[in-house]
Amino acid sequence: MTPAALTGYVTVPLFGALICMAPAVTRPALPFGVRVPPAHASAAVIRRERRTYYWRSAAVAVCCAATAIIFWGAGSWWLPRIILLLEAAADVTCFRLARKKISAVKTAEGWFAGFRQTVVADTSWRTQPEPFPVRWLIPAIAVIAATTVIGVTRYPHLPAHLATGLATPGSRRVPISPASAFAMVISQLYVTGIWTGLLALIYRSRPEIDPADPAASLRGYRRLLHACTRAALTMLALVDLTFLLAALQRWQLYNLHGASATLLLLPAAAGVLILIAVAMRAGRNWARPAGSGQRPSRAAAAGRDDDRFWKAGLAYINRTDPAIVVTARVGVGWTLNLGNPAAWLIIAVIIATVAGLAMIRIAAGM
Amino acid sequence: MLLSIEPDGPVPIYQQVRDRIVEAIADGQLPAGSGLPATRQLAVDLGINFHTVNKAYDLLRQEGLLRIGRKSGTVVQRDAASGPPQPGWEQDWAGRLRTLLAEATAQGLPADDIIRHCQAALSGFAFPAAPAGAGAAEGARA
Repeated sequence: MTPAALTGYVTVPLFGALICMAPAVTRPALPFGVRVPPAHASAAVIRRERRTYYWRSAAVAVCCAATAIIFWGAGSWWLPRIILLLEAAADVTCFRLARKKISAVKTAEGWFAGFRQTVVADTSWRTQPEPFPVRWLIPAIAVIAATTVIGVTRYPHLPAHLATGLATPGSRRVPISPASAFAMVISQLYVTGIWTGLLALIYRSRPEIDPADPAASLRGYRRLLHACTRAALTMLALVDLTFLLAALQRWQLYNLHGASATLLLLPAAAGVLILIAVAMRAGRNWARPAGSGQRPSRAAAAGRDDDRFWKAGLAYINRTDPAIVVTARVGVGWTLNLGNPAAWLIIAVIIATVAGLAMIRIAAGM
Repeated sequence: MLLSIEPDGPVPIYQQVRDRIVEAIADGQLPAGSGLPATRQLAVDLGINFHTVNKAYDLLRQEGLLRIGRKSGTVVQRDAASGPPQPGWEQDWAGRLRTLLAEATAQGLPADDIIRHCQAALSGFAFPAAPAGAGAAEGARA
């Protein structure tokens, strides 16, 4: 089995489990992406739909994992991707069903009637900004530097043709050139640059503050941001390490083949798992802060009912909001405000750099 | 400082931003010399147009409460400890206060309740401490 197929088959049950657990890390004011006032955060319909979602998404995850196990022996790289696509589609349907029912009850019963819909900002977030954890970038930069030094040292001794990808026996071979020899260094620079840029944008984005308890929610958001950024930069260093290991294989310093070539992907996989574990833990603490078991009074302030700007509860499109990056409504993470032209500019830059790298590959005959 | 607004409320948003900043200066959360976010940053945090924040800041600058510089950014210019207001300001304010008190009277609120509300509001503000000599003199008079 190829490393690509193996990774695909492992991803299917992992993705299913993550999607199934998503409601556990969602804030109480946003069940299934529907904004609800504090007094209705534990309404009967929300509890019922959460239970139903767990069952439905668990059934989807089990079916997809069983299918992946049945076809494990086939070893094709495209089959797990199709299973993953079908799993994602089924999970989105489960999510939309729950969202639709909660929205219907919220509208019918007028949950926001009598509530003050407020937006809260903390001016100290801007006047005393959190410094970006630059020190956590050092491991990634060190790995890139090490890859470059080894590459430069090894370049004069490389053969006339180099294997592509993870350089397993079946890989295509291309004539040697700086682009083909240093493809992994270029990939490291690209991934590190884009990822760091996005993290810097997230660091400067608007914090999510709950008007019912602004100080506590801001403290929770700070902890979430710190934990997720550090985990993301750790993952970045581990992904760069995978590129380094792949480069060493390409530069013929060792030769792993078959399923053992998957070992090259282990650092990146460990990085992804670390990020997921940290995000889930931090997200859970943020969603259920200590001492939040009290039922809020009806007079409490509620967040602004902005459901109309969230398409399907997942995509944020608000032309009147100058924010580029906003906190995602479902799970833990951030998303772009697609109503802001600057967000489309970021997407265009990412696509343009991917296209540019593809053109370099074509030009190098890879 | 936590700045809270109601975007869909009856009061214009720029007025709400202006009022919250004045209240924060009065209760000591924003003493003279403390900084405020740039207009674009505050607009992003509140999810409103930056012209709205600009209008609120400009209003506060005209009232002498904020100083807006290119290098220093937006800074609180004065607070309760900065001395008496500019000449003529008190007369304008008294006119506005009269309208506010007239609203309460027209709605049938008794004078005692109006005074109680005024005292409750004033008790939350940070008045500068009286000089040591003045306090001793007052004590001697008492």
